[in-house]
Amino acid sequence: MQIKVNDQAIEIFSGACVKDVLRKYSSSECKLVQKNEKKVCDRHGHEVGLDGELSGGEEFFIKSVELVKVKP
Amino acid sequence: MKNMIRLMPRTRLLVLMLLVGFGFFACASVPPVPAETRIVIFHSNDIHGKIDNFAKVAAIIEAEKKSGVDVFYFCAGDNFTGNPVIDQYDPPGEPMLELLNRLGLDLLCPGNHEFDFGLDNLKKFAARARFPLVSANIEVPPGSFPQLRPSVLLKTRSGVKIAVFGLIQIEAGNGLPSTHPDKVKGLRFSEPLAKALEMKKLRTAGNVLIGLTHIGYDQDLLLAQQMPELDAIIGGHSHTRVDPAENVNGVLIAQAGSDNKFLGRVELLVRGGRVVEKKGVLIDLKGPMAEDAVVKGMIARFNQNPAFAKVIAEALLEITGKDALGSLMTDAMRQVHGLDIAFQNEGGIRLNHLPAKITIKDIYTLDPFGNQVVQFAMTAAEIRGLIESSFAKGGELDLQVSGISYVVRSDSAKHIKEILLRNPDGTPLAEDKKFQVGISSYVASAYKFAHQDPGRSLQSTTADALIRYLQSGVDLSIYRDIQRAFWEQIAEAPQT
Repeated sequence: MQIKVNDQAIEIFSGACVKDVLRKYSSSECKLVQKNEKKVCDRHGHEVGLDGELSGGEEFFIKSVELVKVKP
Repeated sequence: MKNMIRLMPRTRLLVLMLLVGFGFFACASVPPVPAETRIVIFHSNDIHGKIDNFAKVAAIIEAEKKSGVDVFYFCAGDNFTGNPVIDQYDPPGEPMLELLNRLGLDLLCPGNHEFDFGLDNLKKFAARARFPLVSANIEVPPGSFPQLRPSVLLKTRSGVKIAVFGLIQIEAGNGLPSTHPDKVKGLRFSEPLAKALEMKKLRTAGNVLIGLTHIGYDQDLLLAQQMPELDAIIGGHSHTRVDPAENVNGVLIAQAGSDNKFLGRVELLVRGGRVVEKKGVLIDLKGPMAEDAVVKGMIARFNQNPAFAKVIAEALLEITGKDALGSLMTDAMRQVHGLDIAFQNEGGIRLNHLPAKITIKDIYTLDPFGNQVVQFAMTAAEIRGLIESSFAKGGELDLQVSGISYVVRSDSAKHIKEILLRNPDGTPLAEDKKFQVGISSYVASAYKFAHQDPGRSLQSTTADALIRYLQSGVDLSIYRDIQRAFWEQIAEAPQT
């Protein structure tokens, strides 16, 4: 299935989770998210967990912690 | 009552009967409700066995109940898989059952991982649960799973009716939830959004209509677009942190992240028999806060899972070294999943030896990452590409293997000149055939290699394969002196 990370199309095995597609996009970026130095958000700006399960066509963005949508 | 009726004049009795009759029929279409009712629904999703915050959850729910509002607690699925301490319980997932019962869960919408321990285990779980399971798009043979219903009707103390239906995700490819297909044999699943349309009929049954879903946030958005009759969708599956809950097409959409890090709180105000106000927030469970002492005690007990110390296999001697351990791990993957070939990267082998008496705890120390087994159909050329990629990473052999052996031939600068693939009998691997290859999800995503088949997760971890392999009573003596991956430096032609 195809998932977009930071606007880049990534082909990943079916049944993959967010961390798998992040790792395929960039191991170093994935590590930063794992260390909580960056966050991953869906196309609506909501933060998602690394074990979140993927469906084809989803889109994610890696953001610095400060840019993640916070409660108004 | 009999006497009262006898004492009434006939005309007054007739009027009373008419009024009662009218009221009865009115009840059948529009439920009678008090002027105003405030309802709080706490919700969790994708807990995945992370039980440590349940004492806080229990205290929050209890405090809300004391405030006098009507309080419910819903779970949008995936309680299992993700914490070996819980998953390896006997029976599997038992702590989740006991804790959810203790917390007074009102409803569970099963997620795909509710099936990970098999249908029989889920049925046993449901039989002992003090809450029903709700899913409209799971079809079960009549009478075979009485605790699983398409929808339920809950009532507040004041009589407000809350209709709730459940939905589970299915994969586009096989039409099944994301679990091993064997785990859902005998069940039929239909497309969740199509099934949801049939639930519109519930609008007249309740004052409040809620979708408790495990279909992911994107699908929840589509559900809200196609079904404005809904008051709220409480979702799961995508591990999305929706805070505050969003109003989409008049439907409140809530989801509480994952791993019990947050507790969702949806508040509904019902006036004149319908929802007039709704909002939702997440309560961050990080940091110190009030805890329920009984639940805290249960968590402490569950975290001392005695199954972890259980010896599952015995060897005559320790199994020592990456070659032996890697061979054991890949044999397990290959045998348990019926594959031709399996690979394991050395970085994923976190011990240098396994003791002669092997416990479940040892397995999770050896293989702690929760990586899934991913299956690819690969040619010999693609397998070479994978090995080449692994060797290039650090200039040394990195992949342990089962089903074949291989030799990497390079020059002194570690430039690969040739990779030989051999069957167990020493013959060359067929070049014109595709092999079913198992790789950990880490290797599948972190290593760059060409493969035509996009691959699929087998929804089972590499550690789980090893436990099952060891429990099958395998002869461990073969792992004493074993090597299947070789590196040879080829002689370089002298420069002229």
